[in-house]
Amino acid sequence: FPAMGAMEIEADNTHLQRKHSLYRSLDEKFEIQKETYRGQQYSQIYFARLHHMRTLLYSLLPNWKPHLPVCTVLGLEEGKECIIVGTLYKHMKLKPTILDEYSKERSVVPLVKPHNFIHPDDHLVLEDESGRVKLGGTVLLPSKYVTGIVVALHGKDSGAGDFFVQDVLEAGLPPQIEQALKSSSIAYLLLGLGVNNPLPQNRMNFYHPYGIFGEDKYVVFVSGIRVGSNMSNPLQFQLLVDHITGHLGDVKVKLHIEQEQSIAAQIVHVVIAGNSVEIPNGLLNGQNLGSKEQSMLSEPIKELDILLTQIVAGVSVDIMPGPDDPANFSLPQQALNRCLFPGSSVYNTFRSCTNPHSFGLDDIRFLGTSGQNIDDLEKYSEATDKLEFMERTLRWRHLAPTAPNTLGCYPFSDRDPFLLEECPHVYFIGNQNKYETCLLTGTEGQSVRLISIPKFCETGVVVVLNMRNLECHALSFGTQFGT
Amino acid sequence: MASTASRDMKGFYRQKKSGGITKGKTSKASTSKKQQPKNAASFGSDVAQTPALISHGALDINDGYDENESVLRQFDMNMAYGPCLGMDRLARWERAQKLGLNPPKEVEALVREGKVGAMCLWDGRV
Repeated sequence: FPAMGAMEIEADNTHLQRKHSLYRSLDEKFEIQKETYRGQQYSQIYFARLHHMRTLLYSLLPNWKPHLPVCTVLGLEEGKECIIVGTLYKHMKLKPTILDEYSKERSVVPLVKPHNFIHPDDHLVLEDESGRVKLGGTVLLPSKYVTGIVVALHGKDSGAGDFFVQDVLEAGLPPQIEQALKSSSIAYLLLGLGVNNPLPQNRMNFYHPYGIFGEDKYVVFVSGIRVGSNMSNPLQFQLLVDHITGHLGDVKVKLHIEQEQSIAAQIVHVVIAGNSVEIPNGLLNGQNLGSKEQSMLSEPIKELDILLTQIVAGVSVDIMPGPDDPANFSLPQQALNRCLFPGSSVYNTFRSCTNPHSFGLDDIRFLGTSGQNIDDLEKYSEATDKLEFMERTLRWRHLAPTAPNTLGCYPFSDRDPFLLEECPHVYFIGNQNKYETCLLTGTEGQSVRLISIPKFCETGVVVVLNMRNLECHALSFGTQFGT
Repeated sequence: MASTASRDMKGFYRQKKSGGITKGKTSKASTSKKQQPKNAASFGSDVAQTPALISHGALDINDGYDENESVLRQFDMNMAYGPCLGMDRLARWERAQKLGLNPPKEVEALVREGKVGAMCLWDGRV
């Protein structure tokens, strides 16, 4: 698969080869075909999570505060400084509970805000197998944490019934597999921060010059296509398809200026991160469907299949289910059934994947979701932007800490598939309101490109990532003329 | 619910007879005991209150609970291996093994041989 340099191409010889990348699926831990439901409750997955994270945190304690003893919650002695490890539980005043429907008196608490359930009175509790203890002090801000995270706390039993926290240890970014890119990154470290936006030290926008290390290979991320909804513009998606497949623009190149088709030839992979189709809701109300309604129900999927067939004929595509797609509700969502895509599933470039989705391209690890994990964090905690939520999930080493508390999840009994064992190089979430990105660095040299993919039906924007330097830019498919 | 005047309270509560349970009740107790599986209250049993296992005046305290079962119950109750409800004992043992907790080998042997119940002690009772 000769990687054609996009530079010197004769006008007569207009054959462009698409570049190729080695793909490896890492979704096995998100598949639930082998799981059997034996009546287990969610306590099992919480146990698996606590055990795994506690073992990890215990190994980090000697480097943090080796002089302090470690106890269980039940073993706390008043006034004695020690370290306890357990799962955080956040007691939230405004969190909707099913019991409110049954309480006889209508409570004074106002109508629940749909976006965020934070209240100044929220407090944190730490729990392990032996018991739970309320957390006091000002080190842990409840608005930043959610139920389900495992942390180590340094503090002491205050004697007033709570544990006064003096310091907290999170697991931190997991180790990352080194990639060939790393040697060039160190060389460019000296280039410094982007001038116009003073970002905190660990989030920098690197500006790598073009050139000598490797070649440009692009991955396109799109999400929220919503075929079938009245918001989606078929022309927009068709433009995207034409761009990816190289049917747009000119192939002729002059003077080292890259033309559109040669850029398209450098796209090696496309990821569709959820909400690709919108089934008309009004039909799903339990009534019998006539043949006309049945065809209305299947129209959006058929249209999506036709569009996908055009793409898979040229480049490999991963399609993930989203919150509104015809897949199961709870995480991990299983791959959309291949029978929904009779046209595109014939191609071996078509891959129906789970949500969350993890894969490797060449030696770069990708991990992403259709957005449910971060959207749920946004309801129960606060941060400056979505990227900060994403950073927190990496530092807590858990993709979806609010599962199963407020985010639907399969009741695994012997493992927690959302635990992060290694740090991805690219971490993406779909179905967001706007495009955002940053490069996150860790204390052990980890470097992660965080991407928030906007909803295509609303913004017409897709994200393009260059695998050579992990740089990212947005591609907009506006269909307005004359603006 | 029918209102009961105070004079009906005695009729509302079952009166205890001094001479033990009547013959009819005894036979019911023994047949229902035979139908109960070993080591667990039966699921969907229609006795809201387990009838006293008095057969011919002798209390049967053991209910099929022996030494092996007591070892397994200690395994069930040990929090180090996680919650026991909703998992069969072998699966919980295997999970403990997989997580590196070194569960006692005799527990596995006993469950595999079938000398003890497959489910934990709370199964069907909560």
